[in-house]
Amino acid sequence: MLLACPKCKTNNFLDPYPFWNFKGTTQCAGCKTIYSLQTVGGACVSGPEAAQGKVDLLPGFAEGPGHTAISGDGLTRPAPRARKDSVCKPIPITRSIRGNPLSGSPLKKEDLIGSKPKFMVAGAK
Amino acid sequence: MATAPTATKQSFEEFCRTTFDPKKEFGKPEALKGVRVLSMTQYILGPSCASYLAELGAEVIKIEAPRRGEAMRHTTPFNEPFLYPLSKWIPERGTGLGFLGANPNEYFISVDFHRPEGQAIVKKLAAKSDVIVENYRPGTFDRWGIGYRQIREINPRLVYCWLGGFGGWGPGRVRASYDILGQAQGGNFGMTGKPEFMGGTPSKHTIWLADYWGGMMGALQILAALYWRDKVSGEGTFTEYSQVHGVTRQLEYALPLYGRHGITRERWGNWDTQLCVHGVIKTGKSSYPNSDNPQEQEEGYILVSAYTDEAFAKLCQATGNSALASKYGKTEERVKAESQVEIYPALEKWAADKTKEQVASTLDAAGVNNQPVWNSKEVASNPHWQERGAVRWLDDPTFGDLLHQGPAYKLSETPPRLKWAFKPVGADNEYILGKLAGFSPDDLRRLEEQETI
Amino acid sequence: MAAANGKVLPWPAVPTPTPEEVYAGLSDQAKDYPLFLESICRQEHNFEKPEALSKIRVLDCTTTMTIGHWCSSQLAELGAEVIQVEPPGGDPLRKLTPFGRKQYMFKDKDSGEEVGGHFLHEMRNKLSVTLNLATEEGRNILKQFAVHADVIIENAPPGQWDEWGIGYRQLSQINPRLIYCWVGQLGQWGPRKDKPGNVEPTGQAACGFVHGTGDPKEFGGVPTRSALWMADHVGGTTAAMGILAALLYRENVSGKGQFVEATSAEAIIRILDYSWAWHSMDGSIRPRFGNWDLAINIYAVNPCKDGYMMVGGGHDRLWYRIWRVVGDEYPAVEDEILGDPNLREVADRLAMNQQIKTYTLLCEWLKDNSRADAERKLSKQQVASGGVLYVNEVAEYTHFKYRGHVAETESPHYGKILYGTTPFIQHKTPGRMKWLGRPTGYDNQDVYRRLLGFTREDFSRLEKAKVI
Repeated sequence: MLLACPKCKTNNFLDPYPFWNFKGTTQCAGCKTIYSLQTVGGACVSGPEAAQGKVDLLPGFAEGPGHTAISGDGLTRPAPRARKDSVCKPIPITRSIRGNPLSGSPLKKEDLIGSKPKFMVAGAK
Repeated sequence: MATAPTATKQSFEEFCRTTFDPKKEFGKPEALKGVRVLSMTQYILGPSCASYLAELGAEVIKIEAPRRGEAMRHTTPFNEPFLYPLSKWIPERGTGLGFLGANPNEYFISVDFHRPEGQAIVKKLAAKSDVIVENYRPGTFDRWGIGYRQIREINPRLVYCWLGGFGGWGPGRVRASYDILGQAQGGNFGMTGKPEFMGGTPSKHTIWLADYWGGMMGALQILAALYWRDKVSGEGTFTEYSQVHGVTRQLEYALPLYGRHGITRERWGNWDTQLCVHGVIKTGKSSYPNSDNPQEQEEGYILVSAYTDEAFAKLCQATGNSALASKYGKTEERVKAESQVEIYPALEKWAADKTKEQVASTLDAAGVNNQPVWNSKEVASNPHWQERGAVRWLDDPTFGDLLHQGPAYKLSETPPRLKWAFKPVGADNEYILGKLAGFSPDDLRRLEEQETI
Repeated sequence: MAAANGKVLPWPAVPTPTPEEVYAGLSDQAKDYPLFLESICRQEHNFEKPEALSKIRVLDCTTTMTIGHWCSSQLAELGAEVIQVEPPGGDPLRKLTPFGRKQYMFKDKDSGEEVGGHFLHEMRNKLSVTLNLATEEGRNILKQFAVHADVIIENAPPGQWDEWGIGYRQLSQINPRLIYCWVGQLGQWGPRKDKPGNVEPTGQAACGFVHGTGDPKEFGGVPTRSALWMADHVGGTTAAMGILAALLYRENVSGKGQFVEATSAEAIIRILDYSWAWHSMDGSIRPRFGNWDLAINIYAVNPCKDGYMMVGGGHDRLWYRIWRVVGDEYPAVEDEILGDPNLREVADRLAMNQQIKTYTLLCEWLKDNSRADAERKLSKQQVASGGVLYVNEVAEYTHFKYRGHVAETESPHYGKILYGTTPFIQHKTPGRMKWLGRPTGYDNQDVYRRLLGFTREDFSRLEKAKVI
């Protein structure tokens, strides 16, 4: 469910599984306004109305104007991560976790012999 | 024969360890040596089917679209890890790990099936092949002149295996499918996960189960067809595997129960509808409280299995639940839904101040069956799986040092094996097309420039 | 559906369409290929065709877990003669029934013996024989059987059969052509072989599957097991692959059998896709991701108006088609998605936050659409989609009924039974279902006389000694 904050224009994405049938409060990730709302089958049946008190469930993700991402501690719920420093972008990797060469970062044509990385063919240390 | 001389008193375990030693795989012959398979497949269902044959020694030739290859190369968890190069034409891009596991040991060539010249290449290869595996929409290859009807004229010994979601005939034949749709519509999705009263929803099996396991079912059928060809008839055949059909096949008592009583099997979360105790319980503590990995900070879980009266008594003693022991001492009392709702929370209460290892060691000492719920790191680093080669370090000739799953099962004389994870798009154009299509280096250069291959 | 007012309606409740109805209105060209497939694949022709494995005899001696039963029922569907060897009194699995409810069991009309639906479903095409391997005499009988078998499958605790003198080392000397297959959860060798848990269906938890299934903790989820004894199904399938590979090698090359070992946990480790490589590249531990996918977006099940709905479109062509369908009813949602620079590249859509946004907005549309409506609208754009079906819906699904994915059989022992048919659909040697389970020891007379030459005296002596 999309909660567009009337105050700060932040789009709060209330992700479908936890917010499908929900009664309680959430908080705008942009301006920290607390809203109470009730949903049934993914549709708002009451609220969102500005409210006070404890926040039951934070949005999954939010965006400010111009698609700027808003997330983080106290703003959105933490995402499931495979590592502490998950970045969700291609990361260059040249060594396996035990320290041996691994071809996990972008190459250029001159780095290749046929279809293989040169350093693999050469047996780099 | 791997039979030990009777004079030596080799223990059975030692005998097994020597017989199935993963390090000795390459010293033994391959079951499918000389069998050639064309894999004209994408995603997981079709590719994995061919890859199981490649593990057994078949020469599997994977044919992909020129340059960028098939769609699965462009998928990877959270968009992070890639293996480079994607192809010699696009070295700055990589293949995502979604591709890994479904294509080991194969040769990779590229052909544009849409072009008549590409179709002619497929026919040349098919004439010399034993198996075709393909998972394009039903009838597409027929339209291109490379379907079963045409190929059987060229090569009547060929086993043609089509795999897909709903099958090529019937009212739903035009529907596209993926693994998750096979699970959703085949029936296992709706049964898995916690029921509504426990706050759960239908749940997907995390792996691309209907695909990866469906590929096995396809491979099984191919092996049977090859047996019938080689031993009995000399003829090939056409096989059709619908993944949604496969999922419906594995629903245990659900269909008999529905047919006789009109009762729909529901979800039952982490417990078992037919056995008690046989379920996953939560333990209160993480095994790695100081880890910075969120997966390791989570509390532990453990599968506890004590469903006979004797085992349940042991479990109750070990966990100090004498009240449960007398109340639910009998199987038929214990397995009732209302009993289960009482028993599992009592076990979780006992486990609330323990890690899963602490629970396991108490239960091990009491002789109660259990299995900690291991995450992927715990599985990968477990000495049991390492020794057995279930997960192994692979020195991949193209991509280097990778942990990789070994073959699923073991054979004493002709073990399946892992040679390489996969290769870049078109990496074997020269070798395969030179060998089987008679193309000269000039031909190859021209076809590559035209992006026919 | 089938249970109305306390009465169970006959299946199918809704009639199955005829081929004429299914292909009505199509051009000759459009129906040419599906009709060709029907002519070579329709299941009603199965019994006009030979069976791939009709020359093969399998002795399945497994009990208490379904990995062996699953393995041998695949071989049985492909035509092998499978003899299911149970302890006298029957495999304990016969007694399993949901929540212990006896009323859900199937009763043999002659003996009154009851059997649970789960066991019955995997006893297709098999002969039921009893033999007590805990006795010396029982083991001697097994040795005689070994001479006649192409395949033996067992799942005793590691080393048990070897100690009894009927393991691979001994039987392969009696019958060098024998393919001997051990199935289990963790294996017959290795540090954990004797851990409690190796002899129960616990493989799911030992391979990373349970940890990776279900909603992430951040979404309130926990590690989740499959409702099914799924790892046993997959493990049994790998065992059957190993057996057939060994059989091919025996026939084509060596003339000799071999030792096969398959476990449920390793079967799942094999198909846990990128988990291991990912870990080795950067230390990642595969997290749970509920009904979404770590590596593909859109590719998920989400709630909808009347249940749960799968929508899939991993690449650009389908992505835009999906949003076009949504845009017909929610143009602002389509604009928001298409206008977002962070969702333009296929790979960028995989990021966690982008997935949350995608599915939150998709559900704006799904909440107004039933599974059937959503599927109809998306199908027009050739997008793969479909609702999560419950068993009652699976049983009545038109496409499945038409193709015979679900069928009813009239058992001479148990009456009418609804079951899932073999997915081995084929032109020349299709799989098939001949009968669905038999009472304990039903085939003792046939099998013991035919293969071992038992006499009336043998039967009465061995029955009295509780050997068979």
